Amino acid sequence: MIIGLGHYLSVAAILFTLGILGIFLNRKNVIVILMSIELILLAVNINLVAFSSFLNDIVGQVFALLVLTVAAAEAAIGLAVLVVYFRNRGSIAVEDINLMKG
Amino acid sequence: MSFQAAGYSLTPALPELVLTVSAMVLLMLGAFRGEKITGLVTALAVAMLVVTGLVVLWLPAGKLTTFGGSFIVDDFARFLKVLALTGSAVALILSRGFLEEPSRRIFEYAILIMLSTVGMMILISAADLITLYLGLELMSLALYVVASSHRDDAKSTEAGLKYFVLGALSSGMLLYGASLIYGFTGTVSFAGIAAAAKEPTTGLVFGLVFLLAGLCFKISAVPFHMWTPDVYEGAPTPVTAFFASAPKVAALAVFTRVALTAFPGITSQWQQIVVFVAIASMVLGSFAAIGQKNIKRLMAYSSIGHMGFALVGLAAGTQEGAQGVLVYIAIYVAMTLGTFSVILAMKRNGQPVETISDFAGLSRTNPLLAFFLAMLLFSLAGIPPLAGFFAKFYVFLAAIKAGLFTLAVIGVVASVIGAFYYLTIIKVMYFDEPKGAVDPVRTELRTVLAVAGGFNMLFFIYPAPLITAATAAAKSLF
Amino acid sequence: MIQAIVFLPLIGALVAGAIAIYGAHARNPSGDEMEHGDHGHGAHAHASDAHVHDDHGHDDHGPIEPPAAGSRAAEIITTALLLIAAGLSWVVLVDVGFLKHDARVVLFSWINSGDLNVNWTLRVDTLTAVMLVVVNTVSSLVHLYSIGYMNEDPNRPRFMAYLSLFTFAMLMLVTADNLVQLFFGWEGVGLASYLLIGFWFRKPSANAAAIKAFVVNRVGDFGFALGIFAIFMLVGSTDFDTIFGAAPGLTGKTINFLGWNADALTLTCLLLFMGAMGKSAQFLLHTWLPDAMEGPTPVSALIHAATMVTAGVFMVARLSPLFELAPNAQAVVMLFGASTAFFAATIGLVQNDIKRIIAYSTCSQLGYMFVAMGAGAYSVGMFHLFTHAFFKALLFLGAGSVIHAMHHEQDIRNMGGLKDRIPFTYIVMTIGTLALTGFPLTAGYFSKDAIIESAFVAHNPFALYGFLMTVVAALLTSFYSWRLVFKTFHGEPHDHHHYEQAHESPLTMLVPLGVLAAGSILAGFPFKELFTGHGVGEFFRDSIKNKPDILEEMHHVPALVAYSPTIMMIVGFVVAWLFYIRRPYLPVELANQHQGLYKFLLNKWYFDELYEIIFVRPAKWLGRFLWKKGDGFVIDGFGPDGVSARVLDVTRNVVKLQTGYLYHYAFAMLVGVAGLITWFIFGAGAR
Repeated sequence: MIIGLGHYLSVAAILFTLGILGIFLNRKNVIVILMSIELILLAVNINLVAFSSFLNDIVGQVFALLVLTVAAAEAAIGLAVLVVYFRNRGSIAVEDINLMKG
Repeated sequence: MSFQAAGYSLTPALPELVLTVSAMVLLMLGAFRGEKITGLVTALAVAMLVVTGLVVLWLPAGKLTTFGGSFIVDDFARFLKVLALTGSAVALILSRGFLEEPSRRIFEYAILIMLSTVGMMILISAADLITLYLGLELMSLALYVVASSHRDDAKSTEAGLKYFVLGALSSGMLLYGASLIYGFTGTVSFAGIAAAAKEPTTGLVFGLVFLLAGLCFKISAVPFHMWTPDVYEGAPTPVTAFFASAPKVAALAVFTRVALTAFPGITSQWQQIVVFVAIASMVLGSFAAIGQKNIKRLMAYSSIGHMGFALVGLAAGTQEGAQGVLVYIAIYVAMTLGTFSVILAMKRNGQPVETISDFAGLSRTNPLLAFFLAMLLFSLAGIPPLAGFFAKFYVFLAAIKAGLFTLAVIGVVASVIGAFYYLTIIKVMYFDEPKGAVDPVRTELRTVLAVAGGFNMLFFIYPAPLITAATAAAKSLF
Repeated sequence: MIQAIVFLPLIGALVAGAIAIYGAHARNPSGDEMEHGDHGHGAHAHASDAHVHDDHGHDDHGPIEPPAAGSRAAEIITTALLLIAAGLSWVVLVDVGFLKHDARVVLFSWINSGDLNVNWTLRVDTLTAVMLVVVNTVSSLVHLYSIGYMNEDPNRPRFMAYLSLFTFAMLMLVTADNLVQLFFGWEGVGLASYLLIGFWFRKPSANAAAIKAFVVNRVGDFGFALGIFAIFMLVGSTDFDTIFGAAPGLTGKTINFLGWNADALTLTCLLLFMGAMGKSAQFLLHTWLPDAMEGPTPVSALIHAATMVTAGVFMVARLSPLFELAPNAQAVVMLFGASTAFFAATIGLVQNDIKRIIAYSTCSQLGYMFVAMGAGAYSVGMFHLFTHAFFKALLFLGAGSVIHAMHHEQDIRNMGGLKDRIPFTYIVMTIGTLALTGFPLTAGYFSKDAIIESAFVAHNPFALYGFLMTVVAALLTSFYSWRLVFKTFHGEPHDHHHYEQAHESPLTMLVPLGVLAAGSILAGFPFKELFTGHGVGEFFRDSIKNKPDILEEMHHVPALVAYSPTIMMIVGFVVAWLFYIRRPYLPVELANQHQGLYKFLLNKWYFDELYEIIFVRPAKWLGRFLWKKGDGFVIDGFGPDGVSARVLDVTRNVVKLQTGYLYHYAFAMLVGVAGLITWFIFGAGAR
């Protein structure tokens, strides 16, 4: 079987969907949400690299590298915010993040 | 576009460089001298934002590009950069009171706002998807931190966390869209995309929807608005004022630039998206605001509605529409910052008060404050001859000229419903029994209020400069 | 220089206004900072009882209140700035009128919206220069006079601020280079007039008069605004030069107006004239002017005699190239002018309030000016405007001096014999009366004669009517003017208490009177040639377009016509002398014999009553109907209350969506994206 662009895109789409499902099906732990976000970015990177390779264009890979960098920064900031939140509330259950509504 | 032709001059990016370097210098200063010089750092940050604005205006005229064509400075960018810088500087001025509390002397606050502003400026100047993403992330990452800057407050940290999670999700969607667009057009530059995207193929439309969804999140358009009320309520009030002004400018700018310069070939597609979110935002903003008790939450819904009105101009897809968007956002920033300076001024015995019922009888305890707030609220409601009326007038005019009658009619109806909740506040201020005197208003709040209020009330006498600038800016997109 | 003339009064107004606000705040620190608010609290209680004893129709002392801080500074600053502006105005008159240095000073662009491009531009030509001189001279003298007259009033800074604001608006009006700017000034003076008539806002009659002036003027302004729209529709511009350039091409064009094809120029001119009628208190829209006398007397002199009410005349003169092309409109102008001249004079015969007599006289004299305008002798009308400003301001300020001397008594039946107590006022009032009645060689003699001659020679369907009415009005004018002088200054004092205490006014009031008295004599002869003779073409050049040859024809009228006003003046004087000096019982008998006519005139031709029945009562009835039936029953029952209940339902549901849970928010975003994608794949978007 020849693995074509369609296969890569399908994998990326599946990963993307899993990531999004992870965000709103999970009700227990915020860490899982951070992991889901990484999954989404991973899906994007697969997309970019696959396109880059099939278009014979380097820009997509540059983009992917930049996304990786930013993703690291994003994760760092996300964890920092989470730590501050945990100090205040003593819990990181998603269900408990509900002080404000309406 | 070839890399050679576009050049790599640093001049067009000089304002960003100035702001970045000064942010780092101030960071060093803060790191070595500690939190006691928070006041100084904040003041210097305001000064540097002003300097950056002057540098923007000092840049050579015309269309400048650099970094291989991925960074562009045109009249559109100049107009919005100045506006974003003004918004940031004023928001920072408004935060002085907040930063003076001994427990909240966070010098990083000003630096984060500066870095976020750098992100906005990059976003405004973005001419390809990579720059767009980097600018967006620089802006947002700083905003997540600023939102939770009141570290001991559960609400503030919850706001930061919610904003972060949903923001990361929206960035993921935007990126996914960007990757699809890249894949189906073979380029990331807006000009290249415009050349390649002539037909609405499925892949391209997928990409477009995801990309615009990510941008809609940043301008808090329905249905990507859900974070807005919670974050506005939870974040410290000066931060809310900041959120409501400068980032909206940048996000709306990039939204307009992407739609008009990258996808002119499939205008009818993005137009449908914009019309939908504009209607949804206007309607939801108006309805949901009515039941609110907390003034910051109300302002959140108000900003959702106002973004809907601004998008009405974009939906027209014409130069007039773009001009309407620019006028709208400029006037919106003035109205919002003025209103927030009143909200910040509402303190009793040193404690900020945030519910609408706390405004009761303000006309008797502090008539000037009440008068200015009333004028600003009338302006937000779009009552002539205040500035807010002209903002709405220009976008509706553009929509009507573009044949979008239904959109214009729904917009007018929504603005009538929206007027109801603004008037409720005025009624509370002028006809309810006073709740006791408010604390004396700080000088900087008074200044901001006077300038913003004066602008709103007197705009109709001499609107020409703003309109002319917006016309030139809109022209540079076409 | 022109900028200085226009903006110095504005600066004065702002400074005095700042002082007024500051002073009000200092006197009542806990209260409202806004200008009117501070009077709302403590002042009200004693304000109401202080006025129980106050008769209707008197100038008002106001309750005993400490004067605002900085009153003196406000007075000096505003007056000094106005005096400078007045001096510069004369320089401009020489510069423009004789040295022919016309100017257009573009300040900045104002409105750029589609085809409508309007700039703030100061237009200086001879017509403007004449008005500048009139406005600034009278205004500076009135400022000076007010220092003395308003001496006892606690709110002097506010008064001076309003006066200067008015002057600024009036200057914007006369220097306008386009109709929109003219309209700005027009409404500006209307606002200032409203504020000043209602200056003593604790007096209900003053408030009512202020509202009446405002509302009646809205009727005129409605026409004026429609006229501006019509011009913009026809020409596509509001600039005077563009309009005049395009005007000849408009003859014969028609506008469809309410399904009736009207001649474009005639209709436009009539609409514009409607505005002029409102502002210049012409027949049918005159009712506000006498009531406006509720304001302080200097205000009456400045606004309701010398300047604002002449704005209508000025506007017609400014638009003379337009009116010249619309002879039917000119006929209407003359009809209304002549009617007003006669009608107002008849009412003036029997009034007893000293200020109201002069007010009706003003109304009548404005009618004269419009007669000249209708005849096409615009420069002649402007001449009367020019001279009238001096002697009418003089009469008002003189009346103010009398009122001041009599401790705010305004009824001439309670006066008499004052010539011994206040001789200076007596002399200047006599000079003013001579000028008003057209005594040879005074200012009014030249201008009024010229108007009557122009009416005689005009080629206008109403020319003969205009001539007869103005001649008869000259007789009536002479009679009521001398009646006023005789009843006030001659005869026996009727109120000994006031008579004994009557005193000459302070110097700040006498100086303006002296200057105006000199003006009333000197403003005529030296300017005769420039306004009515061979110098007109050289002097006015393009700023006014007289009907060709009318001035020439005026010089060849029969002698009887030329002398008729003088004869009428003498007859009027003799009758007045007979009635009020020689045989004082005659007027009473006459009034008793002609009870009906007397009542008719005394009640001002029953116009107020007529309007009450035609407009006010139906409006009130309609209001009551809409309130009780329309609003209370229909709207509250089915409209907003029902709608607002639905809105609240929607709100409740919308807010319910905002659960506060992250996964719901993320889900909403996903639904949004999925919805849009579904729309594009399966819905209409796929096409």
